[in-house]
Amino acid sequence: MENSLIQLNRITKVYRMGGEDFTALHEINLRVEPKSFMSFVGPSGSGKTTLLNLIGGLDTPTSGDIIFCDESLGGMSPDQRASYRRENIGFVFQSYNLLPVYTVYENILFPFLLANLKESDVRDRVMSIVDQVGLIPQVSKRPSELSGGQCQRVAIARALVKEPRLVLADEPTANLDKENSYQILELMLDLNKKFDAAFVFSTHDEKVTKFVRREIGLEDGYVRWDKRRNGDGDFE
Amino acid sequence: MIRWLIKGMLRDRTRSLFPFIVVTVGVALVIVLVGFMDGVIMGMMDSTAHLDTGHLRVVNKPFYDEEHLNPMDRALGSQKITGDWLRANSDPEIVWSPRIRWGAIMDVPDERGETRSQTPVMGIALDLLSQDSLELKRLNLAESLTRGRLPNKRGEILVGYQLAQTLALELNRPVTLIGQTFDGGMATDNFTVVGFVRFGIFAMDKKMALIDLVDAQETFYLDDIVTDWLGYLPSYVSFREYDRYRSRLEFQMKTLINLHPSGWAKDDFPIVVSILDQRNIRPIAEKFLVVRKFIIGIFLFLMVVVLWNAGILNGIHRYGEMGIRLAMGETHSHLLLSLVTESFVVGLVGSVAGCVLGGACTYALQEIGLNMGDAFAQSGLMLSDVARARLSVGGFVRGVIPGLTASVLGTFIAGLAIYKRSEANLFREQEAG
Ligand SMILES: Nc1ncnc2c1ncn2[C@@H]1O[C@H](COP(=O)(O)OP(=O)(O)OP(=O)(O)O)[C@@H](O)[C@H]1O
Ligand SMILES: [Mg+2]
Repeated sequence: MENSLIQLNRITKVYRMGGEDFTALHEINLRVEPKSFMSFVGPSGSGKTTLLNLIGGLDTPTSGDIIFCDESLGGMSPDQRASYRRENIGFVFQSYNLLPVYTVYENILFPFLLANLKESDVRDRVMSIVDQVGLIPQVSKRPSELSGGQCQRVAIARALVKEPRLVLADEPTANLDKENSYQILELMLDLNKKFDAAFVFSTHDEKVTKFVRREIGLEDGYVRWDKRRNGDGDFE
Repeated sequence: MIRWLIKGMLRDRTRSLFPFIVVTVGVALVIVLVGFMDGVIMGMMDSTAHLDTGHLRVVNKPFYDEEHLNPMDRALGSQKITGDWLRANSDPEIVWSPRIRWGAIMDVPDERGETRSQTPVMGIALDLLSQDSLELKRLNLAESLTRGRLPNKRGEILVGYQLAQTLALELNRPVTLIGQTFDGGMATDNFTVVGFVRFGIFAMDKKMALIDLVDAQETFYLDDIVTDWLGYLPSYVSFREYDRYRSRLEFQMKTLINLHPSGWAKDDFPIVVSILDQRNIRPIAEKFLVVRKFIIGIFLFLMVVVLWNAGILNGIHRYGEMGIRLAMGETHSHLLLSLVTESFVVGLVGSVAGCVLGGACTYALQEIGLNMGDAFAQSGLMLSDVARARLSVGGFVRGVIPGLTASVLGTFIAGLAIYKRSEANLFREQEAG
């Protein structure tokens, strides 16, 4: 059997609010292979974001275990989870979340600074990814001087610059128009091929469906379906 | 990382401008306030020291013990040897000035030479005539004259202006001093009144007369004898150092005492007292230090509260940034550390600016002074009319420490909120944003 990048074993997430329990995810079992390009789809409230949170180590499951490359997230302290995120995960948000006072270059440099690397040692790596997302002309601009699509490119570059094993993107195209959505998806697919990184999205957006190789349907916290594209490019 | 943080701070000035202003103003205020308070208390001490006590005073113990009686026969001999020894062996920053405290009856004759009025006066004899004498400047005599001039030859006397009024003295007329000589005989000598002086201290204006040291030694038969050696420290030496200087000198003086110059009487034994041990000044000084601490404490507290709130606002302003940094795997403590680092930098820059601002104001107050003549006129304390600030390294330290502490502490308290922030909501917060 193929080695999995992430393995979810009977993951349940219960939110407690006002004394009442709400189960957002019910005993989810799932494997994500390395270099996947896949999405979670489903109506609002179905648990997509909750699932990404758990995989990304931003939140902990109520029961069940998440294994990332043979390592269980279950026993990690908050600081260990922070370092897990730092080392393995790149995040892309719906609203880009760039640091407004810094240039494109500095935003992309930031993950390296968090890892205590010197700028002079990583300048080339930063510039290379800036080139790959096509932002060389904008490299010294601030986010406020960029279009939405350009901002999302910066966010993608920032997520990928340290070459993580996994990129998690929550509704990455929700704020973009059709044209920009396609460009961003194409860019991500391209980078998925070039880098050794799996991409996992959550989305409402049907456009995403055309690009992913696997789609998992969520509803009320249950996995309803799990489709993979066959050799012809059709979902089975 | 620090460079990265500073870059961010410079670009987004709104987030550091307010804390910067608070620190700058706070530090400046503390420096000015401390400088002004130091100036007032040190000014008060200095006026007392200049006229009366010195910062340090070497005095014969038998004289000191009965000082209220002005026992001139207990004065300390061998002036020259003692003076030379002090100048050669004490701390070089101490400037020594020999004085004689004398008491006498002042007799004012009329045209025919018969007594018109008489009163006891207390006097100080000091070097008024030498070219290089520092005493005129020290007592600010030229500016204190209400009428007349400074003595320029032997046999001239300056009189407190109220004393002059009481005795209806006229300038350039003779007065006779009648007192006791060193060996117990009667001393009488004529002096010409050349000036009236306003010391600014009621008791002195009413009772004091000044004559030259050599005149006094002749009048009272005090050959090579003085009652006091007053030691003056430069103004940058805080009064908190006086005790240390005193004990060091006391220790060094053992050599002189063992030497026992021939002009000393058998039981002569010079002791060292600091100004703090005289005229009840120590308790005032101690109270002053408590008040000063209290004021600095209040400023520190206020600045912490203000900067804490500024830190909270900053946290709201940068909510998104904090969120994304947490998501990217920055730990809560690292994030807090980076905020504290930023505020340390702001505190440092603000403190420097505050030092410049406060230093400039204090310097102005030191050089120009604040005329408080009316406020001080009533008090019996030896205060000069012009309150001057005192600029000192200590004053800067007292400003910078609360400035930096407040900046760091305020941010730290505000930053603790970061720990309440759970990463679990980041994606959802981002959607809402
Ligand atoms: N912190 C929370 N406390 C309580 N309930 C929560 C919390 N977060 C999510 N939920 C609930 O869990 C369910 C799943 O939420 P989640 O955000 O995962 O949905 P989603 O599929 O991402 O929806 P959307 O498409 O609107 O983003 C929702 O019913 C939501 O109300
Ligand atoms: Mg969602």
